[in-house]
Amino acid sequence: MTKVFRSPAHHGYAVEVSPFIPNRVACAASQYYGLAGCGTLLVLDETETGVSLVRSWQWSDGLFDVAWSEANEHLLVAGGGDGSLQLWDVANHNTPLRVAKEHAQEVYSVDWSQIRGENLLVSGSWDQTAKVWDPALTQSLTTLRGHEGVIYSTIWSPHIPGCFASASGDGTLRVWDVKAAACRLAVPAHKAEILSCDWCKYDQNIVATGAVDCSVCVWDLRNVRQPVSQLGGHRYAIRRVKFSPYSKTVLASCSYDFTVRFWDFSRNQPLLETVEHHSEFVCGLDFNLHVPNQVTHTILQTCFSFVEKSQIITVALKMTTTSGQIVQIELSK
Amino acid sequence: MQRLKVISGHLSPADHGPDDVVVVHGLRTAIGRAKRGSFKDTTPDELLSAVMTAVLTDVGLPPSQLGDVCVGNVLQPGAGALMARVAHFLSGFPDSVPVYTVNRQCSSGLQALLNIAGAIMSGSISLGLACGVESMSLRSIGEPGDLSSRMMDSDKARDCIVPMGITSENVAERFSVSREKQDAFALSSHQKAARAQTLGLFDQEIVSVSTKLVDEDGKDRQVMVRKDDGIRPGTTLAGLAKLRPAFKPGGSTTAGNSSQVSDGAAAVLVGRRSAVEALGLPVLGVLRASAVVGVPPDVMGIGPAFAIPAALKQAGLTVADIDVFEINEAFASQAVYCVEKLGIPLEKVNPNGGAIALGHPLGCTGARQVVTLLNELKRRGRRAYGVVSMCIGTGMGAAAVFEYPGP
Repeated sequence: MTKVFRSPAHHGYAVEVSPFIPNRVACAASQYYGLAGCGTLLVLDETETGVSLVRSWQWSDGLFDVAWSEANEHLLVAGGGDGSLQLWDVANHNTPLRVAKEHAQEVYSVDWSQIRGENLLVSGSWDQTAKVWDPALTQSLTTLRGHEGVIYSTIWSPHIPGCFASASGDGTLRVWDVKAAACRLAVPAHKAEILSCDWCKYDQNIVATGAVDCSVCVWDLRNVRQPVSQLGGHRYAIRRVKFSPYSKTVLASCSYDFTVRFWDFSRNQPLLETVEHHSEFVCGLDFNLHVPNQVTHTILQTCFSFVEKSQIITVALKMTTTSGQIVQIELSK
Repeated sequence: MQRLKVISGHLSPADHGPDDVVVVHGLRTAIGRAKRGSFKDTTPDELLSAVMTAVLTDVGLPPSQLGDVCVGNVLQPGAGALMARVAHFLSGFPDSVPVYTVNRQCSSGLQALLNIAGAIMSGSISLGLACGVESMSLRSIGEPGDLSSRMMDSDKARDCIVPMGITSENVAERFSVSREKQDAFALSSHQKAARAQTLGLFDQEIVSVSTKLVDEDGKDRQVMVRKDDGIRPGTTLAGLAKLRPAFKPGGSTTAGNSSQVSDGAAAVLVGRRSAVEALGLPVLGVLRASAVVGVPPDVMGIGPAFAIPAALKQAGLTVADIDVFEINEAFASQAVYCVEKLGIPLEKVNPNGGAIALGHPLGCTGARQVVTLLNELKRRGRRAYGVVSMCIGTGMGAAAVFEYPGP
């Protein structure tokens, strides 16, 4: 079964399932493949019959990532091409509660810390810096420098307070200590741009990276001389990797090769499944935290395309389940 | 448009493809002043043999693994085809390995690398050695060969025999490059080279050569040569300003702001990435693009101003993406013109000096620049792009873009 939501001429860059509302997702999208034009932030609910639009906001530049607050079900933050972070309230505002513009270039990643007692935001930018923010986005608390290429991904450790990982075009994965404002570890993880990274939810030392060299690598931070596992199969750059919230060794990756792949890196044959229902670049995916039975394979993907065939620009946001059920949100037509 | 470039970069998985042409290692001899310097009595086959042997020894590669050897040379008869094969055997290379020479004047050393790269790309070889060598002590530019008298009917053909110094004067006049600018550029070349030599930056790229030197009394002396002998740390603007024009009364090109006449050799081991990795050899650089373009012969020095944009376009890069430009300093006039024309920040140009301080052994220079460039990028310790370029007599420019992949 496929549920489709269409939004003309928008290209999805990221999707995040709400940590509070099981059937709710946020999607960051951009016009013209994110190369030019405006951005749109969408909040969508999956219903019995389809996908309904809860709210959408326009932004004057492309939006590339979104994160839900871990403390307030109404709040979410998005990062944009103009170097800004915007704090949005689903409940009652038509403009952002706050806009913080400190990054000199595109903000490509935002993440909200999940550790109890800690409520921080992190952003990663093409200006090669990462910034940590208080949850009101008053001003950045610290700026972390060290990457020698654009930053594509910044993700809080789900275990270690004040610690996040970043992936960069300089080919390194870095682990940062926010309190000391220092880089604790720089791993030359790929001989190519790294577009995404994520932490294992069950082992504080395990991090996955996805890169332009078409491989996903799983790293044990205690010994980074070589990856624990190298997952090959994608035919183009990997856009995003995410660990399953349900299993220590399962992760998903999506790619410019139009596919989403599921992996279990503990197995000899790690590829579990290749989902090929997209006909465009797949840029974002997320596991649904709330549906443990359908679990592992409830994902959302967004994608966009460079292919300029007629006026039809497809951006798909799809939700799949293992049982074959597909909830598809197509942004565009 | 940066976003388009960044996203396009994600879509070229060839970025680190198994078919990339990569540089494994490169070395050069010191560069000696012609007729007075360290190599004034050394034949080019000896210079060449020294670098050929050292490059392979350093990486532990048996010469039998080489698919081909190409040597850039300008002044030896027939571009030194015989000299190169002699050097080959002096190096202990087996007869089963072939060798040939190439002459595209001042770009011969780079052309040798591009020829080897082309053979790798076409699939005919997997590994090759690209070299360049010149002894300007033992041979000089002179004898033009046999030419038709009809040459004089064609302006362009006639311009091909305009002396290089006059082409420099033409560039200076036509594009208003002042004597002061040229002298300042020459001074900076010496200062940068002197600094690099003092800091020992050239040590890792220079192979020591044991050779004989005939001293003033006519006695042979065995010497070990490991330092460039053309660098003059004491050069001053006032000193340069006093020099008389070397090519034309009232001109601005002097011995001080032109390249030095020199002896030297360089060799670069090049291979297909898959073959290089299979042998466990390191990757020092990746060849990303190259271009040779023609320009009017009477202002041949402007070649880099056309070749560099052509190569950058191929690589999908801009001047801003390049960390280091090695642009041959045939003459300060043409080097300054090209740098200004392309809007290259001066600090990116020849950070360790160029041919005005180091010397310009014609056939060697291109290979020498590749060695110097990649060592400089390696010293900086992060992934970066660099460009090697030079002007070419009879009116051309060549350029190649290399990537240092990072430590």
